[in-house]
Amino acid sequence: SQDGGGLRAVMAGVARRLLRRGLAVAARPPSTRQLQEAEEAAPVFQYAGKAARRKDRVFVWGFSYSGALGVPSFVRPDAGWKKPRRIQPTPYRLETEEKISSAACGYGFTLLASNTRDITKVWGMGLNKDSQLGFQRSRRDQTKGYEYVLEPSPIPLPLEKPQQTRVLQVSCGRAHSLVLTDSEGVFTMGNNAYGQCGRKVVEDEIYSGSHLIHQLKEFDSRVVQVVCGQDHSLFRTKKGTVYACGWGADGQTGLGHYNITSVPTKLHGDIAGVNIIQVSSYGDCCLAVSDEGDVFGWGNSEYLQLASVTETTQVNVPRHLPFKIGKVKEAACGGTGNVVLTEEGNVFVWGYGILGKGPNLIETAVPEMIPPSLFGWSDFSPDTRVAHVRCGLSQFAALTNRGELFVWGKNLRGCLGTGRMEDQYFPWRVTVPGEVVDVACGVDHTVSMVRSFT
Amino acid sequence: LNAAPGRAPRQRVRFLQAPAPGGGGAVELVAARVPVLADHPLVRGPQFRKLKIGAGHRLDVKASGVFVLGIGHGNKLLTHLYNCHLTKVYTVGGLFGKATDDFSDTGNLVEKTTFDHITREKLERILAVIQGTNQKALLMYSNIDMKTQEAYELAVKGLIRPMGKSPPIITAVRCLQFALPEFQLEIHCLHETQQYLRKMVHEIGLELKSSAVCTQVRRIRDGVFTVDDALPRTQWNLQSIQEAIRNCQLKVETELERTLG
Repeated sequence: SQDGGGLRAVMAGVARRLLRRGLAVAARPPSTRQLQEAEEAAPVFQYAGKAARRKDRVFVWGFSYSGALGVPSFVRPDAGWKKPRRIQPTPYRLETEEKISSAACGYGFTLLASNTRDITKVWGMGLNKDSQLGFQRSRRDQTKGYEYVLEPSPIPLPLEKPQQTRVLQVSCGRAHSLVLTDSEGVFTMGNNAYGQCGRKVVEDEIYSGSHLIHQLKEFDSRVVQVVCGQDHSLFRTKKGTVYACGWGADGQTGLGHYNITSVPTKLHGDIAGVNIIQVSSYGDCCLAVSDEGDVFGWGNSEYLQLASVTETTQVNVPRHLPFKIGKVKEAACGGTGNVVLTEEGNVFVWGYGILGKGPNLIETAVPEMIPPSLFGWSDFSPDTRVAHVRCGLSQFAALTNRGELFVWGKNLRGCLGTGRMEDQYFPWRVTVPGEVVDVACGVDHTVSMVRSFT
Repeated sequence: LNAAPGRAPRQRVRFLQAPAPGGGGAVELVAARVPVLADHPLVRGPQFRKLKIGAGHRLDVKASGVFVLGIGHGNKLLTHLYNCHLTKVYTVGGLFGKATDDFSDTGNLVEKTTFDHITREKLERILAVIQGTNQKALLMYSNIDMKTQEAYELAVKGLIRPMGKSPPIITAVRCLQFALPEFQLEIHCLHETQQYLRKMVHEIGLELKSSAVCTQVRRIRDGVFTVDDALPRTQWNLQSIQEAIRNCQLKVETELERTLG
């Protein structure tokens, strides 16, 4: 300030006059010894102890107006200066009460599940017009439920032993969701117009504001993975068998017919007697991986997903896909394209759409490999390889063993998370402040589970 | 340089008068090759009165390592090498536990922190993230349209590089040595300054929930010139310089040909 400056000038003048008179001694610059002593005497701050734990976080990005991101201030701003945010183009941290072990993105809604023994194990947000998030009691009218849930809200599951059962995995389809528990089978909720919830189709049933959550227990052994397609459900058991129910017009139930199935039924065909270790589906095509590394497919083949074995556009019985790409570890199905990961860490894509090999590759029936240099492999880091692959409706995601997330595909309403609105024709890194552990891709939004660095 | 035998003087054909072979008095013109007087060393003077020496990429006072200079016509090559935008490699030494105002260990102390929770694994994780974000910056500043097949092919080969002005980009980092509290990194970068590398060491310290200062910055490669080609202080004499220029000529030519065509 003016006064401060003037005062300092006066003090400097006084000091100079005192110096000239010999009454004051000018301050010498501190010697090395003095500096060293000052340094040793300085206090030491501790920001992280020796046993500091890495924190688990959830990051979301994509279209927010459906409430699927779980941030209510994006849809209904709670402060005057905030503006509604239609699209979140880069990862945004979502505060959760518990550590989220499993997440799933449906068509406009999200489910988050924790491995805890507490009473609240599953949270849901987004569209709830078919009660795919259970019954969310409205505060304004106690008899009705919310149609859009803007914040992660607990889903009340009718568990027999709520303080002992753990939720292992969740999965979401177009308007239904599945929750897998360790000892009480599978819980299904949401739309059942095609029997995708595993219960008998009731004519003119009203799904909005429904309290009904169905429990499925009759399988030949414990269910270890649940997968939702668009309007069908797949269950994989410990013995390696696959059950399906729901809409079958494209053969996606794999039961040999094109009708609706409302009770989970075992699949045969080429997977009869084969130990299946992973199943995947998101649209109308399904893929299964066996313990020997073989890939089996059934369902929609309009986009050349199964064109390597058949010319027909619908396959209603699981067929073995004779690919010579090595032992397959993981497979993921999208709406029009598929991706598999082999034991060596190579990523192969086929189908239709933006497959990840530049704008020239639009469709292929035979898997094409994406060069590992696009996933961060180089002479400097030859150990970098892809650990997991995931699929949304028109986007792909790959997780490397270094915890990096690569995305490519159609950037529908910012679902890729690159910060740009353009489609991405080859794998692109998403900047996430942490090591990405798992990612769930939806139609227009994505959820990732991340561990902090330190 | 001036003591070395210079250029031979130019020769010129002149018609000189010589006495005729016949009787005395008559002169005839005879063609003879004579050196041009203007090229005589006493007329010309020393060949080199001053030398034009240009400097390549900057190296500041606290850093050490390879420093490229161009002499005479080499200055034009320096400009071409600058336009090639080749990467430089540094070994950067760091020390955990201190934070200073100019990010090096000779600055004023700002804060002291503990560092016993840092492990090599955590450091490598941070380095992987730095590489990842810089990789993105590399693709973004290279001004290629991401939607073309050409961009895809260059990305696969790893040849995408900003060929114009860009902020400092790090193309590769790795940890060479790790012995708490000291550590040493090898950094490959483009368009950087040494102070930026020191700031990066400081930021690595912050990211690991501690603090770090930079103790040493040494450039070990600048484009095509490595430490093996560089002349140490004891060899700053004419013979070594001439030999070094001869050895590097081929390398520089091939690199310019490859990048600029």
